[in-house]
Amino acid sequence: MIVTRSWLSEFIDLSDVSNSTLYKTFNAIGLEVDSIEQIKIAPKVVVGEILSCEKHPDADKLNVCQIETGDGVKQIVCGAANVVDAKFVAVATIGAVLPGDFKIKPAKLRGVESAGMVCSSGELGLPEMGKGIMILDESIGTLEVGREVGSYEKVADTIITLELTANRGDCLSIYGVARDLSAALNIEMKPFEYKQTEKMKLGIAREADLQVKGTINADLCYKLASLHSLSETLLLQLRLGMVGVQAEGKLASILAYATHTTGVILRAYKSEVFTKGKKCLVEAVQNTIALTDICAGSQVVSTVGVNQSTESIATDTTTKLFLEASYVNPDQLTEAVVEAGLSSDELYYKTSRGSNPDLNFGLSYLAMLMAGYTDINCYEGMMDYRVQREKQKIIVDAKEVSSIIGMTIESGRVVTILQKLGFAISSMGDNIVAVTVPLFRHDIRNIQDITEEIVRIVGINNIEAKPLVFAEEVRLNSTTQRYHLKKQLRNRAVGAGFYENVSYIFAQREVLEKYDFATVVSELDLTNPIAEELNTLRSTTLTNLLNAAKRNVSYTKKSIPLFEIGAVFDANRQQREVLSFLFSGELTQESVTNAGKPKMVDFATFTEKMGAVIGAFELVACSHKNGLLHPYQSADILIDGKVCGFVSKLHPTVEDAFDLPVTFIAELDFDAVMPRHINATPISKFQGVYKDLSVVIDKSVSYSHVAKVLAGIDAPMLKSYYPVDIYEDEKLGDQKSLTIRFVIQSMEKTLKDSDTEAVLQRIMQALQEECGATLR
Amino acid sequence: MENLEEKIVQADSLETLEKVRVELFGKKGFIATEFAKMKEVPGPKKKAYAEGLNKRKASLQRSFDARFKLLKAQEVERLLKREAIDVSLYGSQGQKGALHPVMETMDKIIDYFVALNFAVEQGPMVEDDFHNFEALNLPKYHPARDMQDTFYFNDASLLRTHTSPVQIRTMMERKPPIRMIAPGTVFRRDYDLTHTPMFHQVEGLVVDAKDKVSFANLKSILTDFLQYMFGEVEVRFRPSFFPFTEPSAEVDISCIFCEGEGCRVCSHTGWLEVLGCGIVDPNVFKSVGYEDVSGYAFGLGVERFAMLMHKIPDLRSLFEGDIRLLEQFR
Repeated sequence: MIVTRSWLSEFIDLSDVSNSTLYKTFNAIGLEVDSIEQIKIAPKVVVGEILSCEKHPDADKLNVCQIETGDGVKQIVCGAANVVDAKFVAVATIGAVLPGDFKIKPAKLRGVESAGMVCSSGELGLPEMGKGIMILDESIGTLEVGREVGSYEKVADTIITLELTANRGDCLSIYGVARDLSAALNIEMKPFEYKQTEKMKLGIAREADLQVKGTINADLCYKLASLHSLSETLLLQLRLGMVGVQAEGKLASILAYATHTTGVILRAYKSEVFTKGKKCLVEAVQNTIALTDICAGSQVVSTVGVNQSTESIATDTTTKLFLEASYVNPDQLTEAVVEAGLSSDELYYKTSRGSNPDLNFGLSYLAMLMAGYTDINCYEGMMDYRVQREKQKIIVDAKEVSSIIGMTIESGRVVTILQKLGFAISSMGDNIVAVTVPLFRHDIRNIQDITEEIVRIVGINNIEAKPLVFAEEVRLNSTTQRYHLKKQLRNRAVGAGFYENVSYIFAQREVLEKYDFATVVSELDLTNPIAEELNTLRSTTLTNLLNAAKRNVSYTKKSIPLFEIGAVFDANRQQREVLSFLFSGELTQESVTNAGKPKMVDFATFTEKMGAVIGAFELVACSHKNGLLHPYQSADILIDGKVCGFVSKLHPTVEDAFDLPVTFIAELDFDAVMPRHINATPISKFQGVYKDLSVVIDKSVSYSHVAKVLAGIDAPMLKSYYPVDIYEDEKLGDQKSLTIRFVIQSMEKTLKDSDTEAVLQRIMQALQEECGATLR
Repeated sequence: MENLEEKIVQADSLETLEKVRVELFGKKGFIATEFAKMKEVPGPKKKAYAEGLNKRKASLQRSFDARFKLLKAQEVERLLKREAIDVSLYGSQGQKGALHPVMETMDKIIDYFVALNFAVEQGPMVEDDFHNFEALNLPKYHPARDMQDTFYFNDASLLRTHTSPVQIRTMMERKPPIRMIAPGTVFRRDYDLTHTPMFHQVEGLVVDAKDKVSFANLKSILTDFLQYMFGEVEVRFRPSFFPFTEPSAEVDISCIFCEGEGCRVCSHTGWLEVLGCGIVDPNVFKSVGYEDVSGYAFGLGVERFAMLMHKIPDLRSLFEGDIRLLEQFR
């Protein structure tokens, strides 16, 4: 909503209110100021009176004017066609500097002296208005020749753009904003009165009828008028320009101006549309509970508050027309409009947020405007229909208001504020009043809405802050604990050299399909994705990490360690959280330690780094299947014996597709890495021994298989074991030599060689039987 | 005699000094030889001779020790020197990664509220109309729905447009009093310089008995919170409108870039809008079946906080995994 200072002044005296007070007040009462702009007209631009205007002897398009500027008559050459119709104009005299550092100097135009310039609105920094120069009239104030144009407050106005919240339809007009200011600044509103002098004695009833069919939920009011000529004032054009309202034609401009001023929805119809026999018949027909159609015969010419058919709109050349003011309760309107699939015009924005229900005010204001500048005759009387609306009543206890705010507000203050805002009050006893909500505040429904009004006007900054006193309670719930654990894990990942990545939970369906990842079934997929490459929910974070890696490569990064904790979705759109890692390129930064040639990341280092973040895990042959995996360097990750994800070298074709150097990836269920409860096991007081066994087994036998066999051995002294060497050569052929280190220790005694031997023999026996192993 | 002292002082390495030691103190060295002469010294002079010799030995020993200490120190120094490196070559190569600035900012926010005995709550990203809108006093066709361009699914589910549905879920699961925050990822169908389709919010909710929780309490906690986050800033509350709170306010801090003078970041207003808040609307309590309670709620955008706190110029860069940005936060 855009307002101007002088326009507001029609309804409230702002002469003692500075612009900075206005700015503060608007913000304080919840009408957020987007911008505030004081128009400045350059000095030495004055009101000039054109005394004569003659064609330039040597140029068809130029006129030579003699203009009284208060400082003597000046000869000024003017190129605008409309100067011939002008009497009073804005003249930039010698020495004036117009916007764009345009200095006015004496000039010769095709041999004729010119001592100044007749200005258009645009040249003065005002809104552009039509072609040619700006013709002054007394709508901006009494014209005094020689007076600086910048001294006219209505021209050098202040434009204030307010960002209104969705509930404040009542402030979608100059009048509504003035009313809010009146309450906040404690300045009375100026009364608006206009008595129409009806030139015509002819009553409207002789010419037209209004018929209501069904139960309609719209207030309607019609005047019938005959129009002879139309003109707009400078002020009207200027102000519409300042507030950015565009209207085609003079009649439309006048209607738009009146609506912007009063907030009442105003339309004009060609009367001929409604002609039925000798009279006109306007029918208001119930469409739904919320929608009312205005019909001419079988034609719907308008849906009240929503739209109007182009053919029925009265124009500047219409000679007989209906002026309509209307009001619809906005509460059910939006739903009805969407469901009926109606198209709507610019007035609908106001209707849907609550237009001004004071139709008489709207029509009187319109009449006042027209009477000034238009030759129009209104028929006596009006046709109208008013819905009996029950006004909302709220019982307001000042104590309750005070308790919501947290500060004592006296009952009297509550009453004063509400009255200023247009609420009707009746007392019901101690501190309690019954408040009748005006129709234009359809958003006010309960005591908290009332409290908001009080808070606005009292000013939040005047409320004293008070800390809340509350009963202590353990609030360390499972989500809070999970958050803390996640934070620890993220910090470990950072310690291991990874950067935390955050990416959209969206992915491109085609990409997921290409790499054999799950995709959300189409019945559950996004209806309105924002872009083709974000057209579905992701089922893996890895494609996003690959894109991030690719970008980093293009930024010439050579070592790209990333991790992400984020949501992914399965085919049924079930959400789960995963932890993923990506490491691309060089293992460390280039430095003197590696002579500028760091090693590239490999399987061993990648998994070691992961271990520093997530702790112990086992790797077994990969059961996962997707297009990113390297078939011979990929594994399932097992934590506590359960598969919870995978780790792999990136498939070389994918490396190529993303322009990446050697890259490793892993993705696992976040839940699996949550720390689990641990019970300590007793520690032996006796020394243990390390023993290595080298066995020869088939190449196809994985260590995980060997480990499984070892786990099955019932030997309490065998504490742990791990592989320490792997060796293959031609002599071994299809076999390999695997060296395993065993830790043997007893809880009860110092080991003798025979004890150790016995354990090793059992191990060897099991490996022979179940893995076909032979001692090397 | 002088000669011996000279020999010690002239030894220029530990090896030479060792030779001198043998010469002086060895089995056949000077001292031993002199002591051997004792038997030739006549009885009454023996004592004086021995005393003289002992003194001489002690004096030589002192000279030797001093020389040894010096040469040893020189030897160590030589060894150390040999290990000299240009340490300036090894300034941290930054093997540490970095937390994402948005997540790190979220951590800082959560820390504050957890310290004030708030619980952390969460909810699903795919929501239904009831939890995301209806229960929050945003019925269908409410004009305020325009404020939030929503991602919908073919089954009419949606991606939550704010973290507020977590309030609803928590209230429906639990009885008051409630003191919670809901940090989380939210979605709006918007993409330009200042909007990304996904971003992060932290939502707060406090519910207690009727007449207990007031706007003054909200003012207190948020003023303190913003000064914890941004330092000594001025905090300004402006009345505003949110369907789920009444009264509602938007909260501004004095611009941290120009200190209120007016600059490009604050659009020359001197103020930066940073969060929204209000007293919970009775309709919200009604929709979750709460009676006779009072409460406040607030919500903020984490990206905005992170960008302001760290002077990050481009919102979209936050979602690109750009290491050039991330490595600045090591």
